[in-house]
Amino acid sequence: MKKTIQIPLGSQHISLLEPIRFKFECENEKIIGVDADVGFVHRGVELACTRSFEFKQVGYVVARVCGLCAITHSLSYTLAVEKLLGYVANDRIKYLRMLMVELDRIHSHMLCLAHTAENAGFEALFMQIMGDRELIMDVQEAISGNRVQFDYISIGGVNRDLTPELVALTHKNLGLLSEKIDALIGLFDNNWSLSLKYKGVGVLSLEEAYTYNALGPLARAAGLATDVRAETSDFPYEALGYTMILESTGDIHARNFVRLREIVNSIAMCRNIIENLPIGEIQEKAKGKPNGEAVVRVEAPRGELFYLVRGSGQNMLDRVRIKTPTFSAIPAMMEVFKGAEYADAPAILASFDPCMSCTAK
Amino acid sequence: MKKIETTLSTLLRDIGAFYIPKLWHFLSVNGIDLGEGKIELQWIFSAYGVKDEIVIYYVLSDYNTPVPSLVSLIPSAIMGEREIVDMFGLTVDGAESGLYLDEDSRTHPLRGES
Amino acid sequence: MKFFTPFRKKSPWVLHYNAGSCNGCDIEILAALGPKFDLERFGVINTGNPKQSDIFLVTGPVTYRSRERLVELYSQIPEPKVVVAVGSCTATGGVFRGMYNVEDGIDRYIPVDVYVPGCASSPQLIIDALVKGLEVLEAKSKEIEKPYKLFGAIETIANKLSRLNMATKVGQNEKD
Ligand code: SF4
Repeated sequence: MKKTIQIPLGSQHISLLEPIRFKFECENEKIIGVDADVGFVHRGVELACTRSFEFKQVGYVVARVCGLCAITHSLSYTLAVEKLLGYVANDRIKYLRMLMVELDRIHSHMLCLAHTAENAGFEALFMQIMGDRELIMDVQEAISGNRVQFDYISIGGVNRDLTPELVALTHKNLGLLSEKIDALIGLFDNNWSLSLKYKGVGVLSLEEAYTYNALGPLARAAGLATDVRAETSDFPYEALGYTMILESTGDIHARNFVRLREIVNSIAMCRNIIENLPIGEIQEKAKGKPNGEAVVRVEAPRGELFYLVRGSGQNMLDRVRIKTPTFSAIPAMMEVFKGAEYADAPAILASFDPCMSCTAK
Repeated sequence: MKKIETTLSTLLRDIGAFYIPKLWHFLSVNGIDLGEGKIELQWIFSAYGVKDEIVIYYVLSDYNTPVPSLVSLIPSAIMGEREIVDMFGLTVDGAESGLYLDEDSRTHPLRGES
Repeated sequence: MKFFTPFRKKSPWVLHYNAGSCNGCDIEILAALGPKFDLERFGVINTGNPKQSDIFLVTGPVTYRSRERLVELYSQIPEPKVVVAVGSCTATGGVFRGMYNVEDGIDRYIPVDVYVPGCASSPQLIIDALVKGLEVLEAKSKEIEKPYKLFGAIETIANKLSRLNMATKVGQNEKD
């Protein structure tokens, strides 16, 4: 007789925002094997970038790979094309781009924290974090004109400037948010029922993180010091108060804490950016057609985003390769599931903050 | 960015000598269609904690030659390999098709018309 | 009966399915359910179960692999049901139109009652759409509750009892 049972999760499930199907091979309550189908939302963006759209339009198309980290997608693509055009943005443009990326990181992390709380059965906390997240969404809407998918970055600059009123609003909301985050840190640290659900659950060890090439908060929670912000020199992150956040235990609790402390760090960076905003144009001419090959890495909220763009001096590009964070984190995720309790699976999954639209493109 | 050319037969040996899990982060497998049935395959690595250090191993090949699998060295390479199997119709041992595409949907979209 | 009319509007439970969207509209649906916009004050609850839902919120242009699930979920929702297509790409394919794995809009597979424009559509629009959906839902439930006259008139043709029009087909009495 077969000793194991198979339990499916997905493709449509209340704890999932996006379609992904897991097949858990369980022995009593323990998961001993996982199989995942991640291709439900495959649309074919990579091909369309080289066949249907010109290189000036592609930045807005790749933003539609993922709604949560849209800005990092358009930023990486834009950086790659600007490298090919031999254009270097001025400091104001760089700062404004960084500001939006950090704001995006804050709200994406908060969404993930809310989701983890919900999947641990803490509905009220979900609502509370979603409410606090609106502070950032308001800032984003005021700066860019849309809440998500704001297409802020274009080749040669950004599309809107930061006025003094916006600076004041950003300051106010960041101030409000940082108090709330402090309260959340206390809650996530001390709440007894949350710690039962999080501490020691879903552990990824440092060894496994190296072997499976974990990245982003998943790796930093296990103690692997990798962050593209520290590994690239496209943006002056160090000058603006960036610190790498590391935890060591590698469980859900550690991942939540990496996110919470990164939010604190990002708030500090945003403040530094708007206080020290250099003067300059926000839109400059980047002339020419992309010719050659460029690679760009940008730290998205979920980890490293990689773009490879190859052009041959024409309006159409030859290849746009998009490597998204969740895509390369999947082997590590599968590893974490093995040995966990089935009842913890939704919470573990939420703590990875998986993004299937990114994975499947 | 450093590009190193290698061949499919020496790929496993080269990358085996180069790849140390604690130093290098494996990014992805990438394919670029060069037209006329030719393809450039790339294996991309980045260094932990070093600024702007990217190493790309590349191979010029065609669609009929089977590609060796790196899974024995780098377990997470399986995703990228399954992707190029789907997108280019290459054969990689150990990597099944069906990550993104179904049997009855359009086959190998990124493969150029030859 | 006027007194009861407000109560007949039910609190719609929604089922959300992502048929290949970019997540943008999905997080706006979540935000609409969250405290700032608070759809739940109208009694809207996000259920994960198609059998308990009234309104089907779909995002995304329908990818090749998700089309069966979409139709499956739709057919599992009990009548009366309302389909709300959230986002431009759900309505027409939007930016994804013409990509090889995309079916250009959900109305190629299931009937849609309310389209919400926008990429991404804002929570306010989603709330408007759900209110609109409530109207449609009401109309549809009235339609379902309407009793069909099963027996037609008894006629005599040439002094003989005729059974020709005794039973009517469904929908034949729609006009009255
Ligand atoms: S309409 Fe736009 S934002 Fe909404 S799911 Fe589609 S592409 Fe994303």
